[in-house]
Amino acid sequence: MKAKRRVIILDDEAIVCERLKAALEKSGFYVETYEQSQQVIDRIREHKFDVLVTDLKMRKPDGLEVMSFVKEHSPSTKVIIVTGFATVETATKALKGGAVDFIAKPFKISRLRDLIIKITSGQDE
Amino acid sequence: MTFVGRIVGRYRGADALRLLQEKHQRFREVIDENNRVLELIADAEEKLSGEYIFGRQYLKSLADKLAQSTRSVVYGLNAIADNRYPELVNGLEAIGAEVQVILGERRSAPGAKLILPLQETNGDLADVVGQKMARLGELRNKAGCRTPEGFVVSAAACQRFLDQLAEAADLQRWLDLPPDCEESALEQAAAGLKEYLARARSRARLPEEVARAIHAAVATLGKEHEGVTLAVRSSALDEDGELSFAGQHRSLLGVTPDRAARAYLEVLASLYSVEAMRYRRNNNMPPAGGLMAVGCLCMVEARAAGVLYTLDPGQPQNDVMLVTASHGLGKIVVEGTGGTDRFVLGRRQPHEVVSRSLGRKEWMYAPRPGGGVHKVRVPPDRVGAPSIGDAKLAELAATALRIEKHMKRAQDIEWALDEQGELYVLQARPLRIAPRDTLGERDLSGIADRYPVLLSGRGEVACRGIAHGHVCLVDQRPQLDKLPDDAILVARYSRPVLAAAMTSARAVITDVGTATGHLATIARELCVPALMDTEIATQVLRDGDEITVDAEENIIYQGHVDELIHYNLLNDRSYRDTPEFRLLQRMLRKIAPLHLKDPASSHFSANNCSTYHDVIRFAHEKAVEALTENYALKAPGLGRSAFRLELPVPLDLLLIDLGDGLVEGVADQSVVVRQVVSAPLRALLDGLTAEGIWSRGPADMDLDGFMSSATRSGDLTGPLAARPQLNLALVSANYLNLNLKLGYHFNTVDCYMAEQRNANFIHFRFAGGVTEMTRRERRAEVLQRILEQHGFLVERKGDLVIGSVKKISQDAMVERMQMIGRLIGYTRQLDISLRDDGRVEQLINSFMRGEYSPLSRRTEMQARAEILVLDDESIVCERLSDYLENEGYLVETLGDSQQAIDRLRQKRFDVVITDLKMKGPTGLDIVHFIRQQDQHTQMIIITGYATMEAARDAQYCEVVDFIHKPFHLDQLGAAVKKAAKKAARLRKHVDQ
Repeated sequence: MKAKRRVIILDDEAIVCERLKAALEKSGFYVETYEQSQQVIDRIREHKFDVLVTDLKMRKPDGLEVMSFVKEHSPSTKVIIVTGFATVETATKALKGGAVDFIAKPFKISRLRDLIIKITSGQDE
Repeated sequence: MTFVGRIVGRYRGADALRLLQEKHQRFREVIDENNRVLELIADAEEKLSGEYIFGRQYLKSLADKLAQSTRSVVYGLNAIADNRYPELVNGLEAIGAEVQVILGERRSAPGAKLILPLQETNGDLADVVGQKMARLGELRNKAGCRTPEGFVVSAAACQRFLDQLAEAADLQRWLDLPPDCEESALEQAAAGLKEYLARARSRARLPEEVARAIHAAVATLGKEHEGVTLAVRSSALDEDGELSFAGQHRSLLGVTPDRAARAYLEVLASLYSVEAMRYRRNNNMPPAGGLMAVGCLCMVEARAAGVLYTLDPGQPQNDVMLVTASHGLGKIVVEGTGGTDRFVLGRRQPHEVVSRSLGRKEWMYAPRPGGGVHKVRVPPDRVGAPSIGDAKLAELAATALRIEKHMKRAQDIEWALDEQGELYVLQARPLRIAPRDTLGERDLSGIADRYPVLLSGRGEVACRGIAHGHVCLVDQRPQLDKLPDDAILVARYSRPVLAAAMTSARAVITDVGTATGHLATIARELCVPALMDTEIATQVLRDGDEITVDAEENIIYQGHVDELIHYNLLNDRSYRDTPEFRLLQRMLRKIAPLHLKDPASSHFSANNCSTYHDVIRFAHEKAVEALTENYALKAPGLGRSAFRLELPVPLDLLLIDLGDGLVEGVADQSVVVRQVVSAPLRALLDGLTAEGIWSRGPADMDLDGFMSSATRSGDLTGPLAARPQLNLALVSANYLNLNLKLGYHFNTVDCYMAEQRNANFIHFRFAGGVTEMTRRERRAEVLQRILEQHGFLVERKGDLVIGSVKKISQDAMVERMQMIGRLIGYTRQLDISLRDDGRVEQLINSFMRGEYSPLSRRTEMQARAEILVLDDESIVCERLSDYLENEGYLVETLGDSQQAIDRLRQKRFDVVITDLKMKGPTGLDIVHFIRQQDQHTQMIIITGYATMEAARDAQYCEVVDFIHKPFHLDQLGAAVKKAAKKAARLRKHVDQ
């Protein structure tokens, strides 16, 4: 049986964590959610995740810093940035920093879910 | 330089022109901001589908953007209309303030009731009475459950109390604690507030009006129920509040009436428990900013009580319910300290007891004399006896299922059985999944492998959810009122008539439609899972099919998918229950509903604007008015932006170019259609000038009716006319405001169309008519039904018709505007032919089929008229017969009057044309003969000379017409037409 893909979510809005977790679990993912950046950093040290979904605007360390940590310690983890403050500038920064994609809030659940399915299906090899 | 300055200055010449052009520019800005608001609203409504994840940030940003754009619209209006509507600014700011209150950014809840009796509560009032009481009210008032009597002290009362608190010294710094405060500050505030409230409680210090209201409500209860004691329970405004307030007094039992106010204060104190404050802070809200409602219910004299789960959350597929019960009050069961009975019941009738386990019930809770409750020993003979019998268990199960069905979720129900054997529901909430449930149940990714998939990924989800039922192909059913109770409506188009059927449907699926359209909005209000725009649902799904609709993943399965259905029933945290969703709902109620619909009604005023949508609608209308009234005044030099439109139909139309409605560089005062750039006007003109719409000839004169077809606006010596009621069109590239006065019909069309569909709309208004009321109402009915068939939402009052369509694609808009053009032309002379109700159907069908000349002889005369032509000159007969056959009649000719009489004995003709001077029997003889034979045959006499006697004789026989030789064939043609119609009518009378 195929192992479940592991997704870790970082967002300071509890509602985002909650709803995303429910939707992704329904589609067969294993999901952990956190509202503080440090928790995610600690967790990624302990365990491997296939995808990180993070908001940009977090209390220190912010989303970009978390992402660069991940790129260093767990390069195979794909990162998706979501944010309510979407500008061309932040999008560019995120993508340059190694994010797979950049999604503005509010977003359609199905869109993010389909994206995660897409980027994890290639990891079968 | 200000506008006011310019207005005060001389109104003449170049200044005046520039002023006007600036107003045009302002008007276009108003339209743009108006559209921005409409788009924001449509965008927000789409978020209610559940398809989107959004947080408070979005809500705050939405509120700000809306306020900003609406303000721009209002300021723009006042600039165009010379500050005529200052009260609109106040209205706008008041709405903004209410929205801020909803967002929790501001404290006061405006003017609501302090006390609501339970019979006045329901599920929609969670913001006023809290979740718990709203649900209880819903069950009692909408689902017919028996609950205790009682009332709710509303959130508004709580607000009054908190306002009073805020005025007390020293509390400010705690009450104003910001969301990013430190933990220590939080704990200090919690302790301080708690202490203050304890002191307040001992003195029962409540605001005057709140105390009075509580005492009055308690007294009323006391009158109806002697010796009543109360259960005072917190009813938090959001579910999370409920969960996180752990370990405080939130239910006080056995409260005597005199202590009700004190109990209220004690319950309120839990607002400031550390957990509650922490929860608010973590959600970015002021920690001391919460509100709470409190329910006061009559205590049930419980013989037995307990809890029921409508599903076993660990094993939903077992199809059973779980009941725990004990003697006395349910508190012992909830605490788990006294031994309980456990029953497992079947979910299906007859709800038999699958298993039972009787506990040793040594303790129970009972009311304490003097108030409160206390734990007492259970009499020894009852310790081992079942607390509730099987018959009552079955009754309880049936009630619970009814609740589950109403709430569409598995339920966790607190119940009580009184000494008389009556069952009461005390509380019901969504069943929480036990914390140690396996992940497996939430993973539904493999379902598509196990169940046949009928449709997947087609169209859009307009309302998220999961449903099971049987397909009802709506288009095949003549009546939508006898649907099975598990109907899933499947329709080709999203017609408004589906809305009524949706209240009892499990889900709705359409081939054509959008997630922002009218039907989608209703689906979301009713919480009915909806899939729109699938294109092929009506082909793939057959009537009667059993299906499971997953309007979350957008997949339709054949059959009953257990896993999905249980997943849904056990979903204790639907998106609808989240605070963000409910906040958005509440915000939208202040923003989106449109109350001002008819610009000509007295209700249409700045003071009646209660939502942002009202404000922009009002502003838009008044901006148009302000702009067009310039053209009612005779002022030289304004001609540059006003043009007369040349049309192939006799209609005078004055065009005001708002800036880009016409091609560049128009030199003359007159333009032709191809110089018009305005897309909505072009589309409308396409329809208006289409083949057959604007009939050339005189309309069929029903002599009982009356028609005045004054399509010309009177003498126009230039682009300006003295009368305000002109045929006037304001145009820009994407916008049209058209005012038409055709005869006595007043038509207004207001339209914006562009690529982005969310701001597209058509407002259509029609009033007037010159005949009596019945005909005008028939005309209104024709208009209403034609508009509805084209997807318009129509309101009709008497002979007034108001229709609108919104948020459809640009192509669809063009089609609708063309239809409107055709409709305007078509209705010009409708009143005349609406002589009976039967004509209504005919006229609607004719229009829909594209037959725009309902007044032509083809529809009037089903059979072709039969004519007999008598003349002793064969050449005349020949020529007449040729001509008449060409006109569509059946013609016989004879040259001999005796032959004619013989023939007339055999056959009846509609019209007989005869020369007066014939050999043998004269024309007059023939006339007499015919009259004796038949009352209906019409006669036309052709004569070279007409003597007075002949005329008198003939008149006596009601001859239709004399035609003198020599004559033009057209003359004859006209006379024959008239005669044939009369004959047909007379004959129809007889036949009926």
